[in-house]
Amino acid sequence: MPAFTKETLDHLKALSRIECSAEEEKDVLSSLQRVLSYMEQLETFSSETPPSLETFEKNRMRPDFVQPTLPRETFLANAPDQVGGMIRIPPAIKEL
Amino acid sequence: MKKPIHLLSATELHRAFLEKELSAVEIASHFLKRIEQYNPTLGAFLSVLEPRALKKAQELDQKRKTGQPLGKLAAVPIAIKDNMHIEGELTTCASRFLTNYRAPFSATAIRLLEEADALLLGKTNLDEFAMGSSNENSAFFPVSNPWDLKRTPGGSSGGSAAAVAARLSLIATGSDTGGSIRQPAGFSGVVGFKPTYGRVSRYGLVAFGSSLDQIGPFSTCVEDAALAMEVLGAPCPLDATSLSFPPEPYPLSKTMEPITIGVPFHFLEGLKPEIRKNFDAALDTFRSLGAKIIEVDLDVLRLSIATYYILATAEASTNLARFDGIRFGVRAKEAKTLEEIYVQSRGAGFGREVKKRILLGTYVLSAGYKDAYYKKAQQVRNGIIQAFDTAFEACDALVLPVSPSSAFIRGSIHDPIEMYLQDIFTVPANLAGLPAISVPSGFDPEGLPLGIQIYGPRLADVSVLKYAFAYEQATSHTQVPPLYQGDPA
Repeated sequence: MPAFTKETLDHLKALSRIECSAEEEKDVLSSLQRVLSYMEQLETFSSETPPSLETFEKNRMRPDFVQPTLPRETFLANAPDQVGGMIRIPPAIKEL
Repeated sequence: MKKPIHLLSATELHRAFLEKELSAVEIASHFLKRIEQYNPTLGAFLSVLEPRALKKAQELDQKRKTGQPLGKLAAVPIAIKDNMHIEGELTTCASRFLTNYRAPFSATAIRLLEEADALLLGKTNLDEFAMGSSNENSAFFPVSNPWDLKRTPGGSSGGSAAAVAARLSLIATGSDTGGSIRQPAGFSGVVGFKPTYGRVSRYGLVAFGSSLDQIGPFSTCVEDAALAMEVLGAPCPLDATSLSFPPEPYPLSKTMEPITIGVPFHFLEGLKPEIRKNFDAALDTFRSLGAKIIEVDLDVLRLSIATYYILATAEASTNLARFDGIRFGVRAKEAKTLEEIYVQSRGAGFGREVKKRILLGTYVLSAGYKDAYYKKAQQVRNGIIQAFDTAFEACDALVLPVSPSSAFIRGSIHDPIEMYLQDIFTVPANLAGLPAISVPSGFDPEGLPLGIQIYGPRLADVSVLKYAFAYEQATSHTQVPPLYQGDPA
Protein backbone atom coordinates (compact mmCIF):
# COMPACT_ATOMS: atom_id res chain seq x y z
CA MET A 1 0.00 0.00 0.00
CA PRO A 2 1.32 3.52 -0.78
CA ALA A 3 2.83 5.79 1.85
CA PHE A 4 0.41 8.05 3.71
CA THR A 5 2.19 11.39 4.04
CA LYS A 6 1.46 14.95 5.10
CA GLU A 7 0.75 15.73 1.44
CA THR A 8 -1.85 12.93 1.36
CA LEU A 9 -3.44 14.35 4.52
CA ASP A 10 -3.51 17.88 3.07
CA HIS A 11 -5.25 16.55 -0.04
CA LEU A 12 -7.86 14.75 2.08
CA LYS A 13 -8.45 17.81 4.23
CA ALA A 14 -9.16 19.80 1.07
CA LEU A 15 -11.51 17.11 -0.29
CA SER A 16 -13.46 16.83 2.96
CA ARG A 17 -13.39 20.56 3.77
CA ILE A 18 -11.89 20.06 7.22
CA GLU A 19 -9.17 22.04 8.96
CA CYS A 20 -7.04 20.79 11.85
CA SER A 21 -4.89 22.53 14.42
CA ALA A 22 -1.16 21.73 14.27
CA GLU A 23 -1.48 19.46 17.29
CA GLU A 24 -4.50 17.65 15.87
CA GLU A 25 -2.71 17.19 12.58
CA LYS A 26 0.24 15.38 14.17
CA ASP A 27 -2.09 12.97 15.98
CA VAL A 28 -4.35 12.47 12.97
CA LEU A 29 -1.40 11.70 10.70
CA SER A 30 0.13 9.12 13.01
CA SER A 31 -3.26 7.51 13.75
CA LEU A 32 -4.15 7.18 10.10
CA GLN A 33 -0.73 5.73 9.27
CA ARG A 34 -1.22 3.19 12.05
CA VAL A 35 -4.75 2.29 10.94
CA LEU A 36 -3.81 2.00 7.27
CA SER A 37 -0.92 -0.31 7.99
CA TYR A 38 -3.38 -2.49 9.95
CA MET A 39 -5.66 -2.52 6.88
CA GLU A 40 -2.94 -4.19 4.81
CA GLN A 41 -4.11 -7.57 6.11
CA LEU A 42 -7.03 -7.32 3.67
CA GLU A 43 -4.53 -8.14 0.93
CA THR A 44 -4.53 -11.69 2.33
CA PHE A 45 -8.16 -12.13 1.24
CA SER A 46 -8.13 -13.44 -2.27
CA SER A 47 -11.21 -14.82 -3.85
CA GLU A 48 -13.59 -14.39 -6.72
CA THR A 49 -16.24 -12.94 -4.42
CA PRO A 50 -18.05 -10.07 -6.15
CA PRO A 51 -17.82 -6.71 -4.36
CA SER A 52 -21.35 -5.48 -4.84
CA LEU A 53 -23.45 -5.94 -1.76
CA GLU A 54 -26.76 -7.57 -2.51
CA THR A 55 -29.44 -5.59 -0.78
CA PHE A 56 -31.57 -7.56 1.59
CA GLU A 57 -34.86 -6.46 0.08
CA LYS A 58 -35.66 -5.19 -3.39
CA ASN A 59 -35.99 -1.42 -3.44
CA ARG A 60 -39.49 -0.35 -2.53
CA MET A 61 -40.98 2.89 -3.75
CA ARG A 62 -43.72 4.64 -1.88
CA PRO A 63 -46.74 6.07 -3.74
CA ASP A 64 -45.95 9.37 -5.40
CA PHE A 65 -48.35 11.95 -4.09
CA VAL A 66 -47.81 15.45 -2.79
CA GLN A 67 -47.73 15.84 0.99
CA PRO A 68 -46.93 18.84 3.18
CA THR A 69 -43.20 19.25 3.66
CA LEU A 70 -41.33 20.86 6.55
CA PRO A 71 -42.84 24.32 7.17
CA ARG A 72 -40.49 27.21 6.43
CA GLU A 73 -40.48 28.55 10.01
CA THR A 74 -39.55 25.12 11.38
CA PHE A 75 -36.72 24.83 8.90
CA LEU A 76 -35.42 28.35 9.57
CA ALA A 77 -35.51 27.88 13.35
CA ASN A 78 -32.12 26.20 13.10
CA ALA A 79 -30.60 28.51 10.48
CA PRO A 80 -27.38 30.19 11.64
CA ASP A 81 -28.18 33.37 9.68
CA GLN A 82 -31.35 34.30 7.88
CA VAL A 83 -32.94 37.23 6.08
CA GLY A 84 -36.37 37.61 4.50
CA GLY A 85 -37.32 33.97 5.07
CA MET A 86 -34.11 32.71 3.47
CA ILE A 87 -30.76 31.43 4.70
CA ARG A 88 -28.08 34.07 4.36
CA ILE A 89 -24.64 33.06 3.10
CA PRO A 90 -21.64 34.86 1.56
CA PRO A 91 -21.70 35.26 -2.23
CA ALA A 92 -21.40 31.93 -4.01
CA ILE A 93 -20.68 33.53 -7.36
CA LYS A 94 -18.00 36.16 -7.59
CA GLU A 95 -17.14 38.08 -10.75
CA LEU A 96 -18.77 36.57 -13.81
CA MET B 1 -41.40 -3.93 52.28
CA LYS B 2 -42.36 -3.02 48.74
CA LYS B 3 -39.72 -3.15 46.04
CA PRO B 4 -38.46 0.33 45.02
CA ILE B 5 -39.89 1.41 41.67
CA HIS B 6 -36.49 1.44 39.96
CA LEU B 7 -35.83 -2.21 40.85
CA LEU B 8 -38.92 -3.37 38.96
CA SER B 9 -38.69 -4.43 35.35
CA ALA B 10 -40.42 -2.29 32.73
CA THR B 11 -42.94 -5.09 32.20
CA GLU B 12 -43.70 -5.19 35.97
CA LEU B 13 -43.89 -1.40 36.17
CA HIS B 14 -46.27 -1.21 33.22
CA ARG B 15 -48.51 -3.80 34.86
CA ALA B 16 -48.39 -1.93 38.20
CA PHE B 17 -49.50 1.20 36.36
CA LEU B 18 -52.35 -0.58 34.55
CA GLU B 19 -53.49 -2.13 37.85
CA LYS B 20 -53.51 1.31 39.48
CA GLU B 21 -50.79 0.47 42.04
CA LEU B 22 -48.66 3.35 40.78
CA SER B 23 -49.44 6.60 38.99
CA ALA B 24 -47.51 7.75 35.96
CA VAL B 25 -46.63 11.01 37.70
CA GLU B 26 -45.22 9.04 40.64
CA ILE B 27 -43.14 6.94 38.23
CA ALA B 28 -41.87 9.90 36.20
CA SER B 29 -40.99 11.88 39.33
CA HIS B 30 -39.14 8.95 40.84
CA PHE B 31 -36.85 8.53 37.84
CA LEU B 32 -36.39 12.26 37.28
CA LYS B 33 -35.27 12.56 40.91
CA ARG B 34 -32.76 9.72 40.42
CA ILE B 35 -31.40 11.43 37.33
CA GLU B 36 -31.04 14.71 39.20
CA GLN B 37 -29.19 12.96 42.02
CA TYR B 38 -26.94 10.60 40.11
CA ASN B 39 -26.33 12.10 36.68
CA PRO B 40 -23.68 14.63 37.81
CA THR B 41 -21.28 11.78 38.68
CA LEU B 42 -22.32 9.44 35.87
CA GLY B 43 -22.65 11.86 32.96
CA ALA B 44 -25.24 9.57 31.37
CA PHE B 45 -27.68 12.30 30.29
CA LEU B 46 -26.96 15.35 28.14
CA SER B 47 -30.46 16.76 28.58
CA VAL B 48 -33.44 15.90 30.75
CA LEU B 49 -36.96 16.26 29.34
CA GLU B 50 -38.64 16.99 32.67
CA PRO B 51 -41.59 19.15 31.48
CA ARG B 52 -42.30 16.81 28.57
CA ALA B 53 -42.14 13.68 30.74
CA LEU B 54 -44.35 15.12 33.49
CA LYS B 55 -46.89 16.40 30.96
CA LYS B 56 -47.08 12.95 29.37
CA ALA B 57 -47.36 11.35 32.81
CA GLN B 58 -50.30 13.59 33.70
CA GLU B 59 -51.98 12.72 30.38
CA LEU B 60 -51.50 9.01 31.07
CA ASP B 61 -53.00 9.25 34.55
CA GLN B 62 -55.98 11.06 33.03
CA LYS B 63 -56.34 8.46 30.24
CA ARG B 64 -56.25 5.69 32.82
CA LYS B 65 -58.80 7.46 35.00
CA THR B 66 -61.23 7.88 32.09
CA GLY B 67 -60.74 4.32 30.89
CA GLN B 68 -59.12 5.19 27.55
CA PRO B 69 -56.89 2.59 25.87
CA LEU B 70 -53.27 2.69 26.96
CA GLY B 71 -50.21 1.80 24.86
CA LYS B 72 -47.93 -1.22 25.37
CA LEU B 73 -45.28 0.94 27.05
CA ALA B 74 -47.63 3.12 29.09
CA ALA B 75 -45.73 4.74 31.99
CA VAL B 76 -42.46 2.96 31.12
CA PRO B 77 -39.49 5.35 31.52
CA ILE B 78 -37.24 5.36 28.44
CA ALA B 79 -34.02 7.29 27.78
CA ILE B 80 -33.13 8.23 24.20
CA LYS B 81 -29.62 8.33 22.73
CA ASP B 82 -28.91 11.89 21.66
CA ASN B 83 -28.47 11.00 17.97
CA MET B 84 -32.21 10.40 17.59
CA HIS B 85 -34.57 13.26 16.84
CA ILE B 86 -37.33 14.18 19.29
CA GLU B 87 -39.27 17.08 17.77
CA GLY B 88 -38.53 20.38 19.48
CA GLU B 89 -35.74 19.00 21.65
CA LEU B 90 -31.97 19.36 21.33
CA THR B 91 -30.27 16.66 19.28
CA THR B 92 -26.56 17.23 19.77
CA CYS B 93 -25.00 13.87 18.83
CA ALA B 94 -22.55 14.89 21.61
CA SER B 95 -20.94 17.27 19.12
CA ARG B 96 -19.94 20.93 19.38
CA PHE B 97 -21.32 21.25 15.87
CA LEU B 98 -24.90 20.64 17.07
CA THR B 99 -24.96 22.30 20.49
CA ASN B 100 -27.87 24.51 19.40
CA TYR B 101 -29.71 22.15 17.02
CA ARG B 102 -33.35 21.43 17.83
CA ALA B 103 -35.04 18.56 16.04
CA PRO B 104 -37.58 19.78 13.46
CA PHE B 105 -39.25 16.36 13.45
CA SER B 106 -39.36 13.15 15.47
CA ALA B 107 -37.66 9.93 14.44
CA THR B 108 -40.02 7.08 13.57
CA ALA B 109 -38.67 5.13 16.58
CA ILE B 110 -39.57 8.07 18.83
CA ARG B 111 -43.02 8.45 17.31
CA LEU B 112 -43.65 4.73 17.90
CA LEU B 113 -42.48 4.94 21.53
CA GLU B 114 -44.64 8.00 22.20
CA GLU B 115 -47.67 6.40 20.53
CA ALA B 116 -47.09 3.42 22.84
CA ASP B 117 -47.32 5.92 25.76
CA ALA B 118 -43.71 5.63 26.94
CA LEU B 119 -42.29 8.32 29.24
CA LEU B 120 -39.27 9.83 27.47
CA LEU B 121 -36.99 11.01 30.27
CA GLY B 122 -34.06 12.57 28.45
CA LYS B 123 -31.31 12.38 25.84
CA THR B 124 -28.32 10.26 26.68
CA ASN B 125 -24.64 10.92 26.13
CA LEU B 126 -22.67 9.16 23.42
CA ASP B 127 -19.38 9.17 21.59
CA GLU B 128 -19.61 12.06 19.12
CA PHE B 129 -21.71 11.05 16.09
CA ALA B 130 -21.70 7.51 17.48
CA MET B 131 -18.01 7.11 16.72
CA GLY B 132 -16.27 5.35 19.58
CA SER B 133 -16.22 2.41 21.98
CA SER B 134 -15.84 4.14 25.33
CA ASN B 135 -17.93 7.34 25.42
CA GLU B 136 -14.65 9.24 25.85
CA ASN B 137 -15.31 11.08 22.58
CA SER B 138 -18.30 13.13 23.72
CA ALA B 139 -17.65 16.84 23.15
CA PHE B 140 -19.30 17.67 26.47
CA PHE B 141 -18.20 15.20 29.15
CA PRO B 142 -17.43 11.49 29.38
CA VAL B 143 -19.73 8.87 30.88
CA SER B 144 -18.67 6.74 33.85
CA ASN B 145 -19.38 3.08 34.36
CA PRO B 146 -21.83 2.66 37.28
CA TRP B 147 -19.82 -0.39 38.42
CA ASP B 148 -16.58 1.61 38.72
CA LEU B 149 -16.65 5.34 38.08
CA LYS B 150 -13.01 5.34 36.88
CA ARG B 151 -13.94 3.04 34.03
CA THR B 152 -15.77 3.58 30.77
CA PRO B 153 -19.26 2.17 30.25
CA GLY B 154 -18.30 1.31 26.66
CA GLY B 155 -19.59 3.12 23.61
CA SER B 156 -20.83 4.66 21.58
CA SER B 157 -24.16 4.34 23.47
CA GLY B 158 -22.38 4.72 26.83
CA GLY B 159 -24.96 7.10 28.26
CA SER B 160 -27.86 4.75 27.53
CA ALA B 161 -25.98 1.77 28.99
CA ALA B 162 -25.03 3.67 32.17
CA ALA B 163 -28.55 5.09 32.56
CA VAL B 164 -30.12 1.63 32.55
CA ALA B 165 -27.36 0.02 34.64
CA ALA B 166 -27.82 2.67 37.34
CA ARG B 167 -31.59 2.39 37.00
CA LEU B 168 -32.01 6.03 36.03
CA SER B 169 -34.29 4.60 33.34
CA LEU B 170 -35.57 1.07 32.78
CA ILE B 171 -35.18 1.05 29.03
CA ALA B 172 -32.98 3.15 26.76
CA THR B 173 -32.54 3.32 23.02
CA GLY B 174 -29.13 2.97 21.46
CA SER B 175 -27.76 2.74 17.95
CA ASP B 176 -25.40 -0.03 16.90
CA THR B 177 -23.14 0.38 13.87
CA GLY B 178 -20.21 -1.79 14.99
CA GLY B 179 -21.30 -2.87 18.46
CA SER B 180 -22.42 0.39 20.02
CA ILE B 181 -25.34 -1.21 21.84
CA ARG B 182 -23.91 -4.63 22.63
CA GLN B 183 -20.42 -3.66 23.82
CA PRO B 184 -21.60 -1.02 26.35
CA ALA B 185 -24.34 -3.42 27.48
CA GLY B 186 -21.64 -6.00 28.22
CA PHE B 187 -19.42 -3.48 30.02
CA SER B 188 -22.32 -2.15 32.11
CA GLY B 189 -24.09 -5.41 33.01
CA VAL B 190 -27.35 -4.89 31.13
CA VAL B 191 -29.12 -6.39 28.13
CA GLY B 192 -28.47 -4.81 24.72
CA PHE B 193 -30.07 -5.96 21.46
CA LYS B 194 -29.22 -5.10 17.86
CA PRO B 195 -32.03 -6.20 15.53
CA THR B 196 -31.68 -7.56 12.00
CA TYR B 197 -30.68 -4.71 9.68
CA GLY B 198 -33.87 -3.01 8.56
CA ARG B 199 -36.06 -4.23 11.45
CA VAL B 200 -36.16 -0.79 13.08
CA SER B 201 -36.55 2.35 10.98
CA ARG B 202 -33.50 4.62 10.76
CA TYR B 203 -35.64 7.65 9.88
CA GLY B 204 -34.64 10.35 12.36
CA LEU B 205 -31.47 8.55 13.49
CA VAL B 206 -28.51 10.74 12.59
CA ALA B 207 -26.74 8.57 10.04
CA PHE B 208 -23.22 7.29 10.64
CA GLY B 209 -22.90 4.13 8.50
CA SER B 210 -26.15 3.73 6.63
CA SER B 211 -25.65 0.07 5.65
CA LEU B 212 -24.64 -0.81 9.22
CA ASP B 213 -26.71 1.35 11.64
CA GLN B 214 -29.61 -0.11 13.62
CA ILE B 215 -31.57 1.27 16.57
CA GLY B 216 -32.14 -1.17 19.44
CA PRO B 217 -33.06 -1.34 23.12
CA PHE B 218 -31.07 -1.49 26.33
CA SER B 219 -32.96 -3.04 29.23
CA THR B 220 -32.49 -4.72 32.60
CA CYS B 221 -33.93 -8.01 31.34
CA VAL B 222 -34.61 -9.79 28.05
CA GLU B 223 -38.39 -9.62 28.52
CA ASP B 224 -38.21 -5.82 28.46
CA ALA B 225 -36.03 -5.83 25.32
CA ALA B 226 -38.67 -7.98 23.62
CA LEU B 227 -41.39 -5.57 24.78
CA ALA B 228 -39.47 -2.62 23.32
CA MET B 229 -38.94 -4.52 20.04
CA GLU B 230 -42.69 -5.18 19.71
CA VAL B 231 -43.09 -1.41 19.53
CA LEU B 232 -39.94 -0.40 17.64
CA GLY B 233 -39.91 -3.09 14.97
CA ALA B 234 -42.58 -1.69 12.63
CA PRO B 235 -42.22 -1.09 8.88
CA CYS B 236 -41.60 2.56 7.92
CA PRO B 237 -42.38 4.21 4.58
CA LEU B 238 -39.78 6.91 5.28
CA ASP B 239 -36.85 4.45 5.43
CA ALA B 240 -36.39 2.55 2.19
CA THR B 241 -34.14 0.04 3.97
CA SER B 242 -36.73 -0.84 6.60
CA LEU B 243 -38.34 -4.26 6.31
CA SER B 244 -41.75 -4.11 4.72
CA PHE B 245 -43.38 -6.72 6.94
CA PRO B 246 -44.21 -6.45 10.65
CA PRO B 247 -42.33 -8.60 13.20
CA GLU B 248 -43.59 -11.92 14.52
CA PRO B 249 -44.78 -11.88 18.11
CA TYR B 250 -42.09 -12.37 20.73
CA PRO B 251 -43.20 -15.27 22.93
CA LEU B 252 -40.57 -15.96 25.57
CA SER B 253 -40.29 -19.15 27.58
CA LYS B 254 -37.84 -20.46 30.18
CA THR B 255 -37.40 -23.68 28.29
CA MET B 256 -35.73 -23.75 24.94
CA GLU B 257 -36.24 -26.36 22.25
CA PRO B 258 -33.01 -28.36 21.68
CA ILE B 259 -30.88 -26.31 19.34
CA THR B 260 -27.42 -26.49 17.84
CA ILE B 261 -25.11 -23.66 18.79
CA GLY B 262 -22.07 -22.89 16.68
CA VAL B 263 -18.91 -21.52 18.26
CA PRO B 264 -15.91 -20.33 16.21
CA PHE B 265 -13.39 -21.82 18.66
CA HIS B 266 -10.44 -21.27 16.34
CA PHE B 267 -11.30 -17.61 15.91
CA LEU B 268 -11.61 -17.29 19.72
CA GLU B 269 -8.08 -18.55 20.47
CA GLY B 270 -6.16 -16.01 22.49
CA LEU B 271 -9.04 -14.86 24.71
CA LYS B 272 -7.96 -13.55 28.11
CA PRO B 273 -8.27 -16.37 30.71
CA GLU B 274 -11.04 -14.68 32.73
CA ILE B 275 -13.07 -14.04 29.56
CA ARG B 276 -12.51 -17.63 28.40
CA LYS B 277 -13.58 -19.01 31.78
CA ASN B 278 -16.78 -16.96 31.74
CA PHE B 279 -17.45 -17.91 28.13
CA ASP B 280 -16.99 -21.63 28.85
CA ALA B 281 -19.40 -21.37 31.79
CA ALA B 282 -21.99 -19.81 29.47
CA LEU B 283 -21.58 -22.69 27.02
CA ASP B 284 -22.18 -25.11 29.93
CA THR B 285 -25.42 -23.27 30.68
CA PHE B 286 -26.54 -23.70 27.08
CA ARG B 287 -25.66 -27.41 27.29
CA SER B 288 -27.80 -27.69 30.41
CA LEU B 289 -30.65 -26.16 28.40
CA GLY B 290 -30.32 -29.00 25.91
CA ALA B 291 -28.19 -27.28 23.30
CA LYS B 292 -25.57 -29.11 21.26
CA ILE B 293 -22.35 -27.13 20.78
CA ILE B 294 -20.42 -27.51 17.52
CA GLU B 295 -17.39 -25.80 16.07
CA VAL B 296 -17.91 -23.56 13.04
CA ASP B 297 -15.33 -22.01 10.74
CA LEU B 298 -15.49 -18.22 10.90
CA ASP B 299 -11.78 -17.49 10.51
CA VAL B 300 -12.60 -14.81 7.92
CA LEU B 301 -13.81 -12.72 10.88
CA ARG B 302 -10.14 -11.91 11.59
CA LEU B 303 -10.56 -9.37 8.78
CA SER B 304 -13.75 -7.86 10.25
CA ILE B 305 -12.24 -4.83 11.92
CA ALA B 306 -10.23 -3.81 8.86
CA THR B 307 -13.30 -4.34 6.66
CA TYR B 308 -15.58 -2.46 9.02
CA TYR B 309 -13.34 0.56 9.47
CA ILE B 310 -13.03 0.99 5.71
CA LEU B 311 -16.74 0.68 4.97
CA ALA B 312 -18.05 2.54 8.05
CA THR B 313 -15.66 5.47 7.64
CA ALA B 314 -16.40 5.65 3.89
CA GLU B 315 -20.12 5.88 4.63
CA ALA B 316 -19.51 8.31 7.49
CA SER B 317 -17.44 10.65 5.29
CA THR B 318 -20.45 10.91 2.98
CA ASN B 319 -23.07 11.13 5.74
CA LEU B 320 -21.21 13.85 7.64
CA ALA B 321 -20.80 16.03 4.54
CA ARG B 322 -24.20 17.52 5.40
CA PHE B 323 -22.65 19.26 8.41
CA ASP B 324 -21.51 22.30 6.49
CA GLY B 325 -22.54 25.23 8.69
CA ILE B 326 -25.06 26.46 6.12
CA ARG B 327 -28.55 25.35 7.12
CA PHE B 328 -28.16 24.29 10.77
CA GLY B 329 -25.55 23.77 13.45
CA VAL B 330 -22.84 26.08 14.66
CA ARG B 331 -21.50 28.29 11.84
CA ALA B 332 -17.98 29.68 12.28
CA LYS B 333 -18.37 33.38 12.98
CA GLU B 334 -15.07 34.48 11.42
CA ALA B 335 -15.84 32.84 8.06
CA LYS B 336 -16.10 35.32 5.17
CA THR B 337 -16.49 33.04 2.16
CA LEU B 338 -18.56 29.94 1.51
CA GLU B 339 -15.43 27.82 1.52
CA GLU B 340 -14.39 29.28 4.87
CA ILE B 341 -17.83 28.49 6.33
CA TYR B 342 -17.40 24.83 5.41
CA VAL B 343 -13.80 24.45 6.48
CA GLN B 344 -13.93 26.51 9.67
CA SER B 345 -17.33 25.27 10.87
CA ARG B 346 -16.29 21.66 10.38
CA GLY B 347 -12.85 22.33 11.81
CA ALA B 348 -14.30 23.84 14.97
CA GLY B 349 -17.40 21.66 15.23
CA PHE B 350 -15.97 18.14 14.83
CA GLY B 351 -13.93 16.38 17.49
CA ARG B 352 -10.67 14.62 16.72
CA GLU B 353 -11.99 11.07 16.34
CA VAL B 354 -14.73 12.27 13.98
CA LYS B 355 -12.15 14.11 11.85
CA LYS B 356 -9.93 11.01 11.73
CA ARG B 357 -12.80 8.87 10.50
CA ILE B 358 -13.99 11.37 7.90
CA LEU B 359 -10.44 11.71 6.56
CA LEU B 360 -9.93 7.95 6.50
CA GLY B 361 -13.26 7.46 4.76
CA THR B 362 -12.39 10.14 2.21
CA TYR B 363 -9.09 8.38 1.52
CA VAL B 364 -10.55 4.91 0.95
CA LEU B 365 -13.05 6.36 -1.53
CA SER B 366 -10.65 8.65 -3.34
CA ALA B 367 -9.42 8.17 -6.90
CA GLY B 368 -6.56 5.71 -7.07
CA TYR B 369 -7.33 4.07 -3.73
CA LYS B 370 -10.97 3.08 -4.05
CA ASP B 371 -10.22 -0.33 -5.58
CA ALA B 372 -7.53 -1.26 -3.10
CA TYR B 373 -9.59 -0.30 -0.07
CA TYR B 374 -13.32 0.22 -0.57
CA LYS B 375 -13.89 -2.36 -3.31
CA LYS B 376 -11.70 -4.87 -1.49
CA ALA B 377 -13.57 -4.32 1.78
CA GLN B 378 -16.89 -4.89 -0.02
CA GLN B 379 -15.54 -8.21 -1.31
CA VAL B 380 -14.47 -9.24 2.18
CA ARG B 381 -17.87 -8.15 3.50
CA ASN B 382 -19.53 -10.51 1.05
CA GLY B 383 -17.09 -13.23 2.11
CA ILE B 384 -18.13 -12.67 5.74
CA ILE B 385 -21.83 -12.86 4.78
CA GLN B 386 -21.19 -16.12 2.95
CA ALA B 387 -19.24 -17.57 5.91
CA PHE B 388 -22.20 -16.85 8.20
CA ASP B 389 -24.64 -18.38 5.69
CA THR B 390 -22.53 -21.55 5.67
CA ALA B 391 -22.26 -21.62 9.47
CA PHE B 392 -26.02 -21.21 9.91
CA GLU B 393 -26.63 -24.26 7.72
CA ALA B 394 -25.15 -26.28 10.57
CA CYS B 395 -26.47 -24.40 13.61
CA ASP B 396 -29.42 -22.34 14.86
CA ALA B 397 -27.38 -19.67 16.62
CA LEU B 398 -23.82 -18.64 17.30
CA VAL B 399 -22.42 -17.76 20.71
CA LEU B 400 -19.43 -15.48 21.20
CA PRO B 401 -18.10 -13.23 23.94
CA VAL B 402 -19.22 -9.60 23.74
CA SER B 403 -15.80 -8.01 24.22
CA PRO B 404 -12.18 -9.14 24.58
CA SER B 405 -12.09 -7.62 28.09
CA SER B 406 -14.24 -6.09 30.79
CA ALA B 407 -14.65 -2.31 31.11
CA PHE B 408 -11.31 -0.51 30.87
CA ILE B 409 -10.09 2.55 32.75
CA ARG B 410 -10.86 5.91 31.13
CA GLY B 411 -7.85 7.21 29.25
CA SER B 412 -6.02 3.89 29.29
CA ILE B 413 -6.26 3.08 25.57
CA HIS B 414 -4.21 5.30 23.23
CA ASP B 415 -3.53 3.06 20.26
CA PRO B 416 -6.40 3.47 17.74
CA ILE B 417 -6.18 -0.18 16.67
CA GLU B 418 -6.37 -1.39 20.28
CA MET B 419 -9.55 0.73 20.66
CA TYR B 420 -11.02 -0.51 17.38
CA LEU B 421 -10.34 -4.13 18.38
CA GLN B 422 -12.80 -3.69 21.28
CA ASP B 423 -15.44 -4.39 18.63
CA ILE B 424 -13.90 -7.56 17.16
CA PHE B 425 -16.81 -9.76 18.30
CA THR B 426 -19.55 -7.24 17.57
CA VAL B 427 -18.84 -5.74 14.11
CA PRO B 428 -19.47 -8.99 12.20
CA ALA B 429 -23.18 -8.74 13.04
CA ASN B 430 -23.34 -5.27 11.48
CA LEU B 431 -21.39 -6.31 8.39
CA ALA B 432 -23.82 -9.18 7.78
CA GLY B 433 -27.01 -7.47 9.03
CA LEU B 434 -27.60 -10.18 11.67
CA PRO B 435 -29.59 -9.87 14.91
CA ALA B 436 -27.37 -10.13 17.98
CA ILE B 437 -27.85 -9.66 21.70
CA SER B 438 -25.59 -9.09 24.70
CA VAL B 439 -26.82 -10.66 27.96
CA PRO B 440 -25.08 -10.38 31.36
CA SER B 441 -23.02 -13.51 31.95
CA GLY B 442 -21.40 -12.80 35.31
CA PHE B 443 -18.45 -10.83 36.61
CA ASP B 444 -14.68 -10.92 36.23
CA PRO B 445 -12.32 -11.33 39.21
CA GLU B 446 -12.39 -7.54 39.72
CA GLY B 447 -16.17 -7.50 39.99
CA LEU B 448 -16.76 -5.97 36.57
CA PRO B 449 -19.66 -7.18 34.41
CA LEU B 450 -19.16 -9.56 31.51
CA GLY B 451 -21.59 -10.39 28.73
CA ILE B 452 -22.33 -13.30 26.42
CA GLN B 453 -23.40 -12.65 22.85
CA ILE B 454 -25.89 -14.62 20.77
CA TYR B 455 -26.05 -14.18 16.99
CA GLY B 456 -28.90 -15.43 14.82
CA PRO B 457 -29.42 -15.64 11.06
CA ARG B 458 -31.06 -12.62 9.44
CA LEU B 459 -34.71 -12.19 10.48
CA ALA B 460 -34.28 -14.59 13.44
CA ASP B 461 -34.77 -11.76 15.96
CA VAL B 462 -37.47 -13.65 17.85
CA SER B 463 -35.28 -16.77 18.16
CA VAL B 464 -32.31 -14.77 19.43
CA LEU B 465 -34.52 -13.20 22.12
CA LYS B 466 -35.94 -16.62 23.03
CA TYR B 467 -32.49 -18.18 23.49
CA ALA B 468 -31.33 -15.13 25.45
CA PHE B 469 -34.38 -15.34 27.72
CA ALA B 470 -33.81 -19.03 28.43
CA TYR B 471 -30.14 -18.34 29.25
CA GLU B 472 -31.03 -15.38 31.47
CA GLN B 473 -33.68 -17.31 33.39
CA ALA B 474 -31.24 -20.18 33.99
CA THR B 475 -28.51 -17.90 35.33
CA SER B 476 -29.74 -14.66 37.05
CA HIS B 477 -26.45 -12.78 36.55
CA THR B 478 -28.12 -9.38 36.39
CA GLN B 479 -27.40 -7.22 39.42
CA VAL B 480 -27.75 -3.54 40.26
CA PRO B 481 -24.47 -1.73 41.02
CA PRO B 482 -24.26 -1.15 44.80
CA LEU B 483 -24.15 2.67 44.48
CA TYR B 484 -27.51 2.74 42.71
CA GLN B 485 -29.66 0.22 44.53
CA GLY B 486 -31.33 2.60 46.96
CA ASP B 487 -33.35 5.75 46.54
CA PRO B 488 -31.51 9.07 46.34
CA ALA B 489 -30.91 10.83 49.67
